[in-house]
Amino acid sequence: MKQEILQITKNKVKEKLEKSDQKIINLSLIVEKLQLKINELTELLKIISDQEYPSIDQILGIKDYCKFYLLEDKSQISTLNFKEEEEIKKILDYNIGITIEKDVKEITNKLCKNILELIDTKEKIDLKIDTLIKENYINLYNIATPKIACKMIEIAGSFERLSRYPASTIQLLGSEKSFFKALKFNKKTPKYGILYNHPLIINLTNKKKAKIARSLASKIALGLKADVEKKDISKDLINKIKTKISEINE
Amino acid sequence: MNKQIILKNQKIFTKNNLTEKVREWDPNRSKVAAGIKKGIMPNIKEDDKVLYLGAAEGYTISYISDILTKGKVYGIDISPYSMQKLLILAEKTENIIPILGDCNKPFEYNEIIKKKFDYIIQDIAQKNQAEILIKNSDIFLKEKGLALLSLKLSAISQKNHKKTIDDQINILRNKFRIINQKRLDPFEKNHMLILLEKK
Repeated sequence: MKQEILQITKNKVKEKLEKSDQKIINLSLIVEKLQLKINELTELLKIISDQEYPSIDQILGIKDYCKFYLLEDKSQISTLNFKEEEEIKKILDYNIGITIEKDVKEITNKLCKNILELIDTKEKIDLKIDTLIKENYINLYNIATPKIACKMIEIAGSFERLSRYPASTIQLLGSEKSFFKALKFNKKTPKYGILYNHPLIINLTNKKKAKIARSLASKIALGLKADVEKKDISKDLINKIKTKISEINE
Repeated sequence: MNKQIILKNQKIFTKNNLTEKVREWDPNRSKVAAGIKKGIMPNIKEDDKVLYLGAAEGYTISYISDILTKGKVYGIDISPYSMQKLLILAEKTENIIPILGDCNKPFEYNEIIKKKFDYIIQDIAQKNQAEILIKNSDIFLKEKGLALLSLKLSAISQKNHKKTIDDQINILRNKFRIINQKRLDPFEKNHMLILLEKK
């Protein structure tokens, strides 16, 4: 009797944990924490490296900055193919920075390599999340873009719960705090949550943003219901949103 | 009082009959142990069948399996992550039986269990805690069976704790007779332990 129930719960646990939405949630949690760690480590690196090559960190991104720092002979900078090559050359010609001893240089080089490795793993995880969403939820991938789709699943807790949400809840996903505050004190309610970062919305003016956010949320809700049946209706939905945007702009 | 529970130097211990191990029961981690410290004896008999709602990783449930030398304890939890750890504990001991399920929907795991119980312990952070206990006791608890409910006040409302206690006890009075109730203040904040008997 006990063995039977044990077997049933074992199967249920495995079934729940092997769903792809749970994998997406776990991976996205790792990515968020990794980004924080990378920022923290680069600040530590800049304490020393900024004295050596001042104000270059404002020109280059984190990844390029690490590659530039690891280059031994700085006169061969053209091998890295940066866009900002001439600006960097000017700063190097001024010759303001101090020279650093060899043993300290070894430490900073190691730190630099660690940061590059962390960035590499983060990019790999991002790719994996992308493919997981594209394989399983094609409508969500096309309409909401992978980053917002991943965030939506994370807030809802699972894909099953997200697919049951109405459009109005999807529109305000991520703005729960200000929404309940507005209800409590009878003030204006928010019009969009994490949809704010959507490429179709972010360039519009404030009033238009609210209108498009509503129609976009309704289309996402439709697409989610099609995703449960694994049908691809994303092309129609995207066309409808684009016509709506052109109507409003006139 | 039960033979398996030992009180010594103001600390609580339980003794396992098979392995003869004596372990300390920390009242800061377990609400049942905190209740014993505050003076609520759980009155679990040796051969009872116990239903534990909200088993989590199985800290409290391992001590209850020590107390039940002839009985069995069924642990129910919704999270698959903590259920993995409970499964490892269940493989080691004889009388723990874990089930993955939602305590708000007792008819779902009724198909697996199909039994009546002498005792229900509940430790869940939900808004409708009292209703969950009543739902489960309607299906599983025998007549004049006991129930131990740890009421998490801050999960129900942040405002007036006295009013929420009155509301919850009024709901419970429809089906239960209240034997004992106490706040768990030095061990847990805003918690209340209630010992109940089914009418």
